[in-house]
Amino acid sequence: MNSDKRFLLLVGSAKRPRSTSESLGTYLLERLRERGFEADTLLIHRSFGSDELREALLEVIDQADILVLAFPLYVDSLPSLLVRIMELMAARRRERKESKKQRLLAIVNCGFPEAHHNDTAIAICRRFAKEAGFEWAGGLALGGGEFINGRPLSEMGKKVRNVTRSLDLTAEALAQSKAASPEAMVLMAKPLVPGWMYTRIGGFMWKRRAKKHGVKKRLYDRPYQR
Amino acid sequence: MKAVVLNGGVEGDDVLDTVDRVIADELASVGWEVHPFILRNMEIHHCVGCFGCWIQTPGVCIIDDAARDIAGEVIESDLAVFLTPVTFGGYSSELKKAVDRLICLVSPFFVKIAGEIHHRPRYEQYPRLMGVGVLPGIDQESERIFTTLVGRNAINLHSPAHVAGVVLGGQSLDKIRENIQALLAAVGVKQ
Repeated sequence: MNSDKRFLLLVGSAKRPRSTSESLGTYLLERLRERGFEADTLLIHRSFGSDELREALLEVIDQADILVLAFPLYVDSLPSLLVRIMELMAARRRERKESKKQRLLAIVNCGFPEAHHNDTAIAICRRFAKEAGFEWAGGLALGGGEFINGRPLSEMGKKVRNVTRSLDLTAEALAQSKAASPEAMVLMAKPLVPGWMYTRIGGFMWKRRAKKHGVKKRLYDRPYQR
Repeated sequence: MKAVVLNGGVEGDDVLDTVDRVIADELASVGWEVHPFILRNMEIHHCVGCFGCWIQTPGVCIIDDAARDIAGEVIESDLAVFLTPVTFGGYSSELKKAVDRLICLVSPFFVKIAGEIHHRPRYEQYPRLMGVGVLPGIDQESERIFTTLVGRNAINLHSPAHVAGVVLGGQSLDKIRENIQALLAAVGVKQ
């Protein structure tokens, strides 16, 4: 065990039981464990129950050598809970006199088929790294995250080969103290399915899920209409 | 005409609260009705990403708290103002908490806009969007990210017009007023 190399995955999705963010982060975490890293996962929505839990989360973050933020895109940027954690982290690091060198990587996935919707969220993470004193290790952006839908990548085979290849390359880069490569970013951004197919299947899935709740006919409701 | 102002500032942020007052004054001076929300004083749960507002109670968030009222006020308004300390280029967690809960205002289904996939509108009309960020000093990178974010929100929230700008700490009241007047003019509220 390479105990001076601590890897911490912070999952910014509140989705249960598993999220695409967790699938992506866990695959990377496993690859780093294979390389001798001590690796842990924390789900941020479970760390906000009390001041003690929040303080414990911040302390664990302080110990990490590599911090990975894996989260879903919420309205063009980060989920509010993750922003809150980042505000607390930045304030804490401003007050601290000494801090060890830490690196930050972001993995963002969105429900739109095009990965570039995530660009603003990655720019925010990069800016956070600068303000909070992290070394920026890059941002990986995935479109069509619903396709993965929280399933373990290792069980999805060739359907996610670009995603797993991207994460394999990123694990290798991180282990060598490098940032994610442009190749890894390009691979992650490749569409999992053609856009037209994604939107068509997506439409079908929304109707099916609404039907399960008995509201298929109300999908177009305008409850706040004047 | 009606405007909703979502104030995402923290307690004691004098510059941001001054900007809030200036926005309200300027809108009132042209006869607009202003509905302010000081988000830090409200109980708003974070979005849990369940999509219940699309497939369980279509158009309304399943969490029954103040964010439901905000969503209703936003869609009934002619202008929505997002006011925030620029936070790593984006919105503060206080503002983001409310904005995340606005997805009930759009449809789960997709539509192509300028070659990109977005969610279809749920309503016929949406408010114009004005993003106002407060920065302690000149910071072009943060300003660029903030402006881009407001522009992206405007597409996804189907705003017919939008504008974004920043106010800097240390600016005089006259300068702040001038800034706000220019932003309101750009979004078609004042000449």
